[in-house]
Amino acid sequence: MRAITLLFLCCFSVIGFSQNNQRFEEANALYNDSKYAEAIDKYESILDSKVHSVELYFNLGNANYKLNNIAPSIYYYEKALQLSPNDKEIENNLAFAKNMTIDAIDKVPEVGFSRITKNIVNTFNADTWSKIAIGGVLLFVLLFLMYHFSFGTSRKRIAFIVSVLSLLIGCFSVAMAFQKDRLNTKDNPAIVFAQESRIKVDPNQTSEEVFRLHEGTKVQVLETYEDWKKIQLSDNSTGWIPSKDIKLLKLF
Amino acid sequence: MKFIKYISLIIILFSASLAFSQVKFEAKVSKKKLGINERLQIDFEMNQDGDNFVPPSFRDFEIVGGPNTAVSNSWANGKRSYTKTYSYFLAPKKRGKFTIKQATIEIDGETYKTFPITISVSAAVDKPNTSPDASDIAAEKIHLVAEVSKSDPYLNEAITVVYKLYVSPETGVSNWREKDNPRFNDFWSQNIEIKGLNILKGQYKGEDYRYVVLRKTVLYPQKTGKLKLEPLVLDITVEVPSKRFDIFGRPILTKVPKIVTAGSRTIDVKPLPEQNKPSDFKGAVGDFAFEVFTTKSQLNATESLQAKIEVSGKGNLKLFELPKLTVPSSLEVYEPEHNENVRTNLSGMQGVISDTYTIVPQYKGKYPVPTISFSYFDLKTESYKRITSDEIVIDVLEGPIATTNNSDNATSSNTKQTVRPNTNTFAFIKTSSNWSSISSQPFFKSIGFWSLLLCPFLAIPLAIVIRNKKDERDADLHGNRIRKADRLAKKYLGAAKKALGQKEAFYLALEKALHNYLKAKLNIETSDFNKEKIDSILKERQVEHEVVKDFISILENCELARYTPITQVTMQNDYDKSAKTISLIDKQLR
Repeated sequence: MRAITLLFLCCFSVIGFSQNNQRFEEANALYNDSKYAEAIDKYESILDSKVHSVELYFNLGNANYKLNNIAPSIYYYEKALQLSPNDKEIENNLAFAKNMTIDAIDKVPEVGFSRITKNIVNTFNADTWSKIAIGGVLLFVLLFLMYHFSFGTSRKRIAFIVSVLSLLIGCFSVAMAFQKDRLNTKDNPAIVFAQESRIKVDPNQTSEEVFRLHEGTKVQVLETYEDWKKIQLSDNSTGWIPSKDIKLLKLF
Repeated sequence: MKFIKYISLIIILFSASLAFSQVKFEAKVSKKKLGINERLQIDFEMNQDGDNFVPPSFRDFEIVGGPNTAVSNSWANGKRSYTKTYSYFLAPKKRGKFTIKQATIEIDGETYKTFPITISVSAAVDKPNTSPDASDIAAEKIHLVAEVSKSDPYLNEAITVVYKLYVSPETGVSNWREKDNPRFNDFWSQNIEIKGLNILKGQYKGEDYRYVVLRKTVLYPQKTGKLKLEPLVLDITVEVPSKRFDIFGRPILTKVPKIVTAGSRTIDVKPLPEQNKPSDFKGAVGDFAFEVFTTKSQLNATESLQAKIEVSGKGNLKLFELPKLTVPSSLEVYEPEHNENVRTNLSGMQGVISDTYTIVPQYKGKYPVPTISFSYFDLKTESYKRITSDEIVIDVLEGPIATTNNSDNATSSNTKQTVRPNTNTFAFIKTSSNWSSISSQPFFKSIGFWSLLLCPFLAIPLAIVIRNKKDERDADLHGNRIRKADRLAKKYLGAAKKALGQKEAFYLALEKALHNYLKAKLNIETSDFNKEKIDSILKERQVEHEVVKDFISILENCELARYTPITQVTMQNDYDKSAKTISLIDKQLR
């Protein structure tokens, strides 16, 4: 029974995917005819069917850029980058979109050890790290048994060394996966959608204004209180912003 | 007691007789109560000429005039009346009650004294009594009036103050000078120049007057609440006709200096309503038009363009800030140039103010200039109004590309022009896509992950245990043999065992099984399958003689059994025997 439902689900999803492919192509055609608003509607209808892809977000970003919608275009580019980090085309178009933003915020550079570890952790996502860990563990088990049962000295030696190495790789990958997961949960970026937003010292309207942000700026959300969000900029300044002024990137 | 009574009676009688003696010496004051800014005339009057007049000391007063001596001598009906008067004009030095002491004089060798007089000096009074008649007239006939256009304006609403000098036709003004220029604290003020003084005719309190407009000022209140306008003070010389006439019958004009003030006015400034006050309101009050425009919309990088923010109309143009231009950070913007072209007339300021920004784009791309909104308070409708500019897009057609990490290529870009393909263009959309569900479960920390990670470790002890078991079994020789025989029997005698009990079927199966066994082990073809051959081959393969004999006997039994009755027990015996023989052969076979 379960097998049958699974089969059904597979069939449905295949049907759904092919439908989405058709819509995607229609939307691309609209985009090429410079009918960007219609293209955006089509692309978003694909998103409504609970599927997504790097390409879909990239195209949505492009269409919004063509319509000069600063915040949505940056939002979709960032989303595409989340799914496929280090994509050159996305980074290129994101740079174009970021030209339209008003705020210039300095970036506090990360230095020394923390930068190195962060770079290593960020080479793969958590799932890839965990797959590497499983591979390492399997290899270790095989080689360890080989070591245990084989008789030749040299063979035994090689098997032992390699098995220990793969165990180390496995342990390291697990640690990296945890680290990456922790970074992921801590990382909660958002894009400012309001044309101009006043950032306050405290989460209420009457409190003092710290600074102002404009559409398209990327912020990190630290915590939420009622309908306010505490945000941090890349230059480490913090403040409270009304929740309606920003849109979280991590919604899926 | 009686004695005192008598004495007093005598004194009274005596004094009465003195009065009767017709010598009078009296002090008379013009008033006994006066203000500190007033003057007092004191006359010492006598009806017979005297000598050695000693005035009292006017310690608390200042002698303004005097002593003046006046003597009048007249005869009426044969009677001579004579008066001699010493008069002084006194001005009080301070407030309080003062006593003017006695004055003395000698008349016919006798010394007479006046009674002391008590004068009370109070605070200054509005109309000092000292002014002569001419100035009184001047005060009645000359008026300085400040006309305020509105006494309850809004904050930053223009009001005008017009100073007019009304002069009655009977009097004239020969000279005037502003004594004190009014300063309008808490107001932004601008004087409107008046060219020449035109004498106009008008009415003041129902009477015909001539008037001149001396000064016009436009005021913008900068503070709410009750604000006081300082009065304008003029020092003028008034020509007043006196009651005397010259020989031609014209009244002789006396010139009187006069100070006129317009009086202070209070203006109640209303604050602008807080309700619906826009957040971008910067104090503009009036009626305005607002515009933002750029000189170019398409250009190349490092060329410049001007963006202008302009407010035109009527209102407090000089008194508010223009909204600021916000542009994308990658555009270079210089400090704006401020221009004002404002005229001020009686209705307020009117004209255009503008800020001109010079913008130089650095990189290729599109730069939308966000809409700018401008709010003002409209006095006609008494409500706030907002004008929002259109969004402008500056399209930079050619130029370098903004790099997100402008580290080293920015410095090397302008040294040499390298030929490189124009890869830095806005990339086209991607045309095909791989779909994945939005709600994907992460593999990390899932059950599958943990089991795949940890189960392999369980495999190590499991594999070791299995291996050990196997070794143990290999070591057990006897058991091995039994197990092997069982296995062989199971393999070849399975069919026979099933048929155990049915004589014919059993022996048929048994024979077939034995043949099959030999076929498998010795590669004997079915055609040359006879006992002699089996015997020789088995012996060749070093199988023990007895075992071979047993095997042959079983085969013979099989043939025999078809024709003889056989019991269940024999069948079982034959089965066991064949199983044993097979395993023995298997063991000895080389």
